[in-house]
Amino acid sequence: MSIGTIQPTTVLAGKGQPERGRTLRQRLWAARWCYLFMLPNLVLAAMFTFYPTVMSWYFAFLDWSGFTSDREWVGLENFRELLSDRFFWDAYQRSFMFMLIAVPIQVVLALVVALILNDSSYKLGPFFRTIFFLPVVTSAAIIGIVMTFVFSPFNGPVNKMLLNTDMVDRPVDFLGDPDTALWTVAGVWIWKWFGISMIYWLAALQVVPQDLYEAARLDGANRWSLHKDITLPMVYPFAAVIVLITIVGSLNVFGLVQTMTGGGPFFASEVMEVYIYRNAFGDSGIPRLGYASAAALFFGITVLGISLLQGWGLKKANDARTQMKQT
Amino acid sequence: MPVNINRRRFAQAGLASTSAIALGSRSHRPSAAQDATPGSITIPDSGVELPADDITFRWIDSGDLKALFYNEFHAAYQEAHPNISIEYDALPWAEINQIVPIGVQSGDAHDIFAMPQDIPSAQAVAEGWVAPLDDIIPNFAEWKDRFPLGSFMDGVHVFDGKTYTFPQTSSKRYWTMTFYNTDYLEQAGYDLESERLTWDQYREAARKITEQGQGQYYGVVFGGQSTDRFATFVRNLGRMAGAPAGGSLGFEDIDWRTGEFQYTSDEYLAAIDLLVGLQADGSIFPGSLSLNDAEAWSQFPQGIAGMILEGPWVIPQWQRENPDFRFGLASQPVPNGETVLPLAYEETGSNQLWVYADSPYKNVAGDMFSYVGSVEGQVAIMAATKGFLRALVPEAAEIAQESVELDPYASEALALYDEQLRLGPMVPVRNPAASQVALERRPLTPDLGQLVQGILAGQIEDVGAALEDLQSRANAELDRAIAAAQESGAEVSRDDFVFANWDPTQEYTAEMYE
Repeated sequence: MSIGTIQPTTVLAGKGQPERGRTLRQRLWAARWCYLFMLPNLVLAAMFTFYPTVMSWYFAFLDWSGFTSDREWVGLENFRELLSDRFFWDAYQRSFMFMLIAVPIQVVLALVVALILNDSSYKLGPFFRTIFFLPVVTSAAIIGIVMTFVFSPFNGPVNKMLLNTDMVDRPVDFLGDPDTALWTVAGVWIWKWFGISMIYWLAALQVVPQDLYEAARLDGANRWSLHKDITLPMVYPFAAVIVLITIVGSLNVFGLVQTMTGGGPFFASEVMEVYIYRNAFGDSGIPRLGYASAAALFFGITVLGISLLQGWGLKKANDARTQMKQT
Repeated sequence: MPVNINRRRFAQAGLASTSAIALGSRSHRPSAAQDATPGSITIPDSGVELPADDITFRWIDSGDLKALFYNEFHAAYQEAHPNISIEYDALPWAEINQIVPIGVQSGDAHDIFAMPQDIPSAQAVAEGWVAPLDDIIPNFAEWKDRFPLGSFMDGVHVFDGKTYTFPQTSSKRYWTMTFYNTDYLEQAGYDLESERLTWDQYREAARKITEQGQGQYYGVVFGGQSTDRFATFVRNLGRMAGAPAGGSLGFEDIDWRTGEFQYTSDEYLAAIDLLVGLQADGSIFPGSLSLNDAEAWSQFPQGIAGMILEGPWVIPQWQRENPDFRFGLASQPVPNGETVLPLAYEETGSNQLWVYADSPYKNVAGDMFSYVGSVEGQVAIMAATKGFLRALVPEAAEIAQESVELDPYASEALALYDEQLRLGPMVPVRNPAASQVALERRPLTPDLGQLVQGILAGQIEDVGAALEDLQSRANAELDRAIAAAQESGAEVSRDDFVFANWDPTQEYTAEMYE
């Protein structure tokens, strides 16, 4: 059993009895309290997650505005149109660019900070943990709006600092320049969500036995060696999960992008979620819920593919490690 | 045919048509539209049988100017009927566009709602979203007769002989009036009360203001993230400069005389050049591309720029929240040459509201609309908004002009509308079946506003090619939407989008449709 895995049915219902030999019905009955407690969440998830998700798969094959009773089954027509829509491909590419740039920065930065804050001798650790976590619990829309002022070329504090330090000679329109808009949002996104990755890493660091560090110190290991030879190998299995969670998060940036740039200027920061929203609700003209659903489905399948690929890669790496240890 | 008007004559005509009230109001002392006297509305007994139980009546629209009236009206109505509590949601259009369809689909829509912008009225009627007013407003025929001839149009208000909505106020207004910071303009040597800025003067004034601002303020500001603001700038300036056009069923910029789009006209191109020139001069407030429209105009009173082109809705908020701000209102920049055309508008009425078909309180809605469409109600609208909203019932407009103290800015705006706007043709008035085209319309991406944003952001270099492409896509989309409407059984053709007898300088009257 891997570290940290919880098996509620065994813990709560097992009462020392072996699982083997009991019927499914018996096991379900024994674990009835678990299912009862899960029920409210399951019902809500069914209503607000599973049902809309499944329906959007169906909508993807319709020519439908979303508000009329006139739904026409068009088969793969929406997907055919998507493939020739350059704005779709631009948004698709932008989403992955965002992920490729922002995720490594956030994950590595969070690990470094977690390593520092995990040091029990650092008395201000809890204070900084709170400070770094604060943006996580703040609404993305509120942060987005505030950041438009922070990055404003007119009296925005960032530009003031740049001007005062002579780093630039005229204000930079971070959110109005196609070259900087998306990356400014990415920076804000990293800042906002960095705290959650840090907490994940801190949780992972708890599994490293302190006696290993003590033994290594007795052997004369320095701080770098401690992390390289003990910490990183021990938290390695958690990295895949943290990266996966961060990747999924990097594809959910609608609130920030919409409030900071609206996808502009001229689509320069339009990521997939904004593209889907624009087609489903936002643009001038009749909404195209069917078309937007097709885009969402296509994108969702890609993300699923990436997750599976990552899982497969992790399994291969673990197998290889196990094989190496055995040999 | 374009009329040639000498610039001086144009200015004189403008001044002449501006009422004495307007001329006398040039001091631009902020007045308070929000000070409309509460308690001045008396709700009459219309004879409608109203619920005796305690009920909550829900109402959603976009607020703005009309909220000045509705806040007052709702308070009076609740006072007259203490068992009726009114829940008024005055929300941005983006939220209305989402809340109303979801409400209808879940059977829980507001009792009275503004129609979402993307939903053609004909479709909402066909889908059974809304209730006809004929059955719920008492003495409906008499009530309807108060409105001037042509106020109720097939395909706009009337469907299959039933009336579903009514024009509460006139839609005769435009969105590119020049609002200016009086202090900055005076300092730059301009007096917009006595002269109108030509395009060249507008650019020069913006440059001078920027120069005098020394980085503290700029010539002009745009809410450029709301790309429709750029589109409105280009089309209104281009149209007035000699590329007449109108819009109907969601298709904009059509020269009704030929049915062709105007995107590639020299005048539209010149209007874009003007924007590019302003940017090259450094006269546009930095960050204009990342501000939305509301952010731009709500920051304007803080002194960020000298001029902004906007609609009348900005005035009450500025007066309320920035009572010391000295500002003026003038025509949009007029063309450099002598060809000056009025702008065409669609009189679909503004601020239409609809009654939810499944509302249990349709009789309450009927009672309320009975008052809003009455002479007293129409006068109250003008009184509460100090004239920012204009009554459609002629008798009410006359009474209001004599007895109600209009805001000086409102008087100026009304005078500008009379001078610079003409009623244009409307496709569904001649052929109600053509409304199906609106339902089939797909957005042009990028559209005119998005293209202009791309040009200013430096992402589009060949402006001419981009406009050619837009023209071609607009033609293709109109043809496609018409074909799709035909497939749905609508008898409509491209000929419905041609009004060969349209004269942009004249009103397009009911007889001209025949």
